[in-house]
Amino acid sequence: MNSGLKHFRLVLASITVVVHLTSALHADAPAQPEPIRQLLTQACTDCHNNDTAEGGLNLTAIPWDLAQPENRQRWIKIHDRIAKGEMPPEGVDLSPNDRVALLTALATPIRNVDAAEVRDYGRGPLRRLTRDEFEQDLRVLLQLPHLDIRDMLPHDRERNHCNKVATALDFSRVQLEACLQATEAALIQAVATGTTPRPAEHHRLLATRMFSASGTFGNREAMFYAKDSKMVPLSGADLATLRKENSHDPEMELAIFRSASWPYFGYPDTFVAREPGAYKIRFSARAVLQQTGFELTPAKAPIPMTFRARKRSDADVSGDVRATGGVMDVQPEQAVYETTIRLMKNETFEYSLLGLPVPRAINEANRELYYRFPPRPPEGHPGIAYQWLEITGPIDPEEWPPASHRVLFGELPIRAAKGGNLAIELVSTAPEQDAVRLLDRFIAHVQRSPTSAVARELYHQLVQDQLKAGAPLAEALISGYTAVLCSGEFLYVREPRGSDRAGAVADRLAYFLSECRPDGQLAQLANEGMLLQPDVLRSETDRLIDAETFSRFINNFSNYWFSLKDIRRDEPDPRLYPEYRFDDYLIESLEAESKTFLTSMIRENLPITALVDTDFAYVNDRLSRHYGLEPVSGSTIRRVNVPEESPYGGLLTQGAILKVTANGTATSPVIRGAWIAERLLGDPPPPPPPAVPAVEPDLRGAMTIREQLAQHTSDFSCAACHARFDPYGVALENFDIMGAWQDRYRNLAVGDKVTGIDRAGHDFVYHISEGIDASGTLMSGETFHDVTELKQLLQSKPRQLARSLLEQFVLYSTGTPARFSDRSEIEAILDDCEAAGFRTRDLIHGLVQSRIFTGAELP
Amino acid sequence: MTNRQPLPGRAKTLSRRRFLRGAGVSLALPLLECWQRRRVHAAQEASQPRRMLLISNNLGVLPEPFFPTTNGVNYELSPYLRELSDFRDRFTVISGLSHPACEGGHSTENCFLTGAKHPTSSGFRNTISLDQYAAEQLGRQTRFTNLNLGVNIDKANRSLSWTRDGVLLPAEDSPSRMFRKLFVQGSPAEVQQRLQQLKRRGSILDAVSESTRQFQSQLGRQDQARLDQYFTSIRELEERMHVAGEWEQRPRPETSLEEPQDVVDRALLFDKFEQMLMISTLALRTDSTRIVSLMVDAFATPVFHLEGEESSTTAYHPLSHHGMRPDHLAQLEKADRRQMALLKNLLTELSTTSGETEPLLDSTMVLYGSNMGDANTHDNTNLPILLAGGGFRHGQHLAFNSEQNAPLCNLYVSMLQRFGIESESFGSSAGALTGLELRV
Repeated sequence: MNSGLKHFRLVLASITVVVHLTSALHADAPAQPEPIRQLLTQACTDCHNNDTAEGGLNLTAIPWDLAQPENRQRWIKIHDRIAKGEMPPEGVDLSPNDRVALLTALATPIRNVDAAEVRDYGRGPLRRLTRDEFEQDLRVLLQLPHLDIRDMLPHDRERNHCNKVATALDFSRVQLEACLQATEAALIQAVATGTTPRPAEHHRLLATRMFSASGTFGNREAMFYAKDSKMVPLSGADLATLRKENSHDPEMELAIFRSASWPYFGYPDTFVAREPGAYKIRFSARAVLQQTGFELTPAKAPIPMTFRARKRSDADVSGDVRATGGVMDVQPEQAVYETTIRLMKNETFEYSLLGLPVPRAINEANRELYYRFPPRPPEGHPGIAYQWLEITGPIDPEEWPPASHRVLFGELPIRAAKGGNLAIELVSTAPEQDAVRLLDRFIAHVQRSPTSAVARELYHQLVQDQLKAGAPLAEALISGYTAVLCSGEFLYVREPRGSDRAGAVADRLAYFLSECRPDGQLAQLANEGMLLQPDVLRSETDRLIDAETFSRFINNFSNYWFSLKDIRRDEPDPRLYPEYRFDDYLIESLEAESKTFLTSMIRENLPITALVDTDFAYVNDRLSRHYGLEPVSGSTIRRVNVPEESPYGGLLTQGAILKVTANGTATSPVIRGAWIAERLLGDPPPPPPPAVPAVEPDLRGAMTIREQLAQHTSDFSCAACHARFDPYGVALENFDIMGAWQDRYRNLAVGDKVTGIDRAGHDFVYHISEGIDASGTLMSGETFHDVTELKQLLQSKPRQLARSLLEQFVLYSTGTPARFSDRSEIEAILDDCEAAGFRTRDLIHGLVQSRIFTGAELP
Repeated sequence: MTNRQPLPGRAKTLSRRRFLRGAGVSLALPLLECWQRRRVHAAQEASQPRRMLLISNNLGVLPEPFFPTTNGVNYELSPYLRELSDFRDRFTVISGLSHPACEGGHSTENCFLTGAKHPTSSGFRNTISLDQYAAEQLGRQTRFTNLNLGVNIDKANRSLSWTRDGVLLPAEDSPSRMFRKLFVQGSPAEVQQRLQQLKRRGSILDAVSESTRQFQSQLGRQDQARLDQYFTSIRELEERMHVAGEWEQRPRPETSLEEPQDVVDRALLFDKFEQMLMISTLALRTDSTRIVSLMVDAFATPVFHLEGEESSTTAYHPLSHHGMRPDHLAQLEKADRRQMALLKNLLTELSTTSGETEPLLDSTMVLYGSNMGDANTHDNTNLPILLAGGGFRHGQHLAFNSEQNAPLCNLYVSMLQRFGIESESFGSSAGALTGLELRV
């Protein structure tokens, strides 16, 4: 009652505002062309008028002032609803001929006005670099491939599931200050840390020095020392004696059987990185199984592991935790493995075995807290036994001073600094001249288009002033470099138009496909004016797609457009899905699967329908189990064929997508349906009315989601909208919150009882009840029985799928959404791609060659 | 620092009476002076200054005696809150709050003011803390943008204060050192060096401003609007730097107070806590800063003094895993009640100190809470949260769902808004906290 009243007031308030605004604007607005007025009167204004503004729309109050962007957007929306056949509703008199006439009458003036605006002012405003792009640019320019400054900058705003929208990339005082700080931090990291490379420390640790303690949480089952494949029960005191006397037995092994989940501190006895940097790790290990009586037998399959960088803060974690050194599959035969890890100052590293159990804390009344390890599977607990480990580092480059230093200071000699903020100082007999020379050299190195003489002079002056104030040459130059890198010219990318189109196209192409400024070859082609030749532009596009740097596009684009950045948002609910408790390895594998899939989809130029279905999938050991496919061994993601009857294959049914569209506890046809409508079909549902609560899953199992939805959408106005997208989601009900196949729903109260102890040692009880009905009817009247049939229906709309992805590419690459005047160009690209089945790489080529991308035809 | 190890029974003699004697008189002057100067200097700040004091004990309190069993305005004070009954109308107790997906037992202690998720998972990096965010938005309007304090704190590993890129900002754990920072002028060379840094930053801004004007001249109309944001940012940053430079040269407030003697015995946890609360009050009342964070590192506290001649039988952390043992529970209750008593003293102090136009408590939001809902079971949900002062309409128990907690960051959003920052979100918030209204 109360909220309803509030809602009513809100509506009233907004109507009042609209009326005031429009009456003010009406005076100057051009008159509506007669054919439009007539047809609107005939078909629309019965409902959308002053008195009954259905859906909040009063057609008589929207000025026909198309030059005004907000008005134009509203007319475009009206045009689109009519074009899609959603309006006017059934029963209203509008013949097919009249509909076409009305659409043409609306579209032509809108297009003309929009095109004129593009001609006069450009397709969109200039765009600030995102923080990812800024970091990547500095990595490349300063030759610091591991530079880590992104998080010093505020988050960039997201709009339309994209982080590169020009009008959302704002600038503020906080942004500017952070930008200055991040730039200075980067420049200081580029400077040599001393007059010679840092000496590397070398440590060789035998097994009894490799682990912090004599045991870990989870009792002996979780970790022990062994000799001749039998446990050697060392106490803390025993270990201390061994370490004190340095009497380590080379025959001993360290055996670990658990994941690196909290609480855990599986790092070596004393090692800590005194210097930040790269450390080489070599170790000897074998994959084992733990049998009764703590005996070791060889494993049947490899065990994947990585290292985790962290502080030595015991069980509780403080500061960053990072997987580093990549994933290695440790084989059953003893072998030596080698990798390079990166550590910050004062960090150490711990052994992170992937996909293994997690001990559980047991907290009973009147007892000490203890940890329980999950029960042993029949074949034994899988784990890794280590024999020894070597650490060497920090590894500095042999060439000294390092490349990053020479970017800043060329070949000027260095010596140890006597004061100031840097470890070294530059030796120069003519600091003023060297300053000018180095500054000009730096500007030439970083500029994307020529820097004006006036601007250069300003930077010179800044550095000279610093020198006069007594700053050492290196520090004075760093002030100058900071200014260059924080100038508007560096931070903003321009729209291609006019005489220097080639340079701007090079920027746009590079930031699109590599999230980074143009590399040498691309910049050179732009300088020479060659880039705008279609064949050159095409081969450069191909080169960037095939380059290693393309992974950055895949990451960033899929993080936003397919929401993969949300993959860790919801913890799987352990009451219903105990098998997923703390299974980080599964989540990492799912993310890798989808990113590998998208990479191959574009590189191999697969048709757009691959988003919906393919006859192959990308899996590793964990995913082949998850999807019930032929088991594979090892952590590497590889391509396998999917049997005809399997529901897998295609992006739509990948676990990553099914996880980000669930909430960890229950699946929802509403969310998944809306996701398909928006991200695959380019037809986003309007936002729900504010007062309606979301459907809460009924964990007691009394009501299925279908029954709940039926209740939820029983209201006619709700049902009309939900019918547009819910059915897609219904077809996905056979996939659980992580994308595994389910025939029946789980709940906490009714149906067959399932009990056990999960991978983290927790007892679980859940119930399985209703069978799942995944059949439905689309708005179009098409019906499907299950996901396989839905896939067929979706595959029959390749043009719509292609348009949706293409429009997102337009936004992502240009920073401005597809405009009304872009539509004919977009349809032309689609026409060109149609015969070959709308292949994805073709779509990118079509876009890059179009005037939307190149700004051709703009003055 | 002193080597004197006060006996537990004598700890009180060190405490606030001696420390604050005469403070009212000698401190009124600098406070007033600052206020008047600000009115002249910063016409843009028309509103009353807002302050926050953010306190966390990383092992929390026993939930049962802390949380009231009835809700709303007419709730019945819980056993612990009865200690604060004099201030019933000046605080709100809130239940059913936590940081979503912020689990991992004690590892959450560094996330109390950040709300960062999954602090023990690979890929974790902490995010900006409430105090840092507020300081960043406020800019430097006082001598210190914020103070970050700690009691018994493991400075290398624990702090309430974190940068945006997850760098720990170490806490100050010595009251005497803090006192010197507040009242004793730095060396001229240090001041000169900091001024030099500001000047350098100013020159960089001049250069980017002018060079970007050059760039701007080649652009079209739509682009100008985007670049306006850039120029506005430069102007605003220059203004803040100007104020920062003024602060460097301005003399410290004068005080007739003696420098406090640090209590060094880690067993005297509550005496140390009390000293830090006094320093916090002093910093706020002299308007040396408007943002103070304070972590009581109970985890790092050894066997400690409880009351009279009694000490705990184990260190604080093992004690907190009480396993329902009556003797442990009894000790924990004593420890909790001592904190409540300290809180009461703090509120008394703040409410009897005059601020600009009203008691200091009314311009100061005092947050007391913990990252631990129940330290016994490592539970990071249903956190104990108490908010006093700050001009809110208090005197209620705001109870959120204990099964599906509301985000604690919602409270932070409300606090930021009260602080004068137009933030719609912070950390894992989903809006402002419902039910927390301003006093009319």
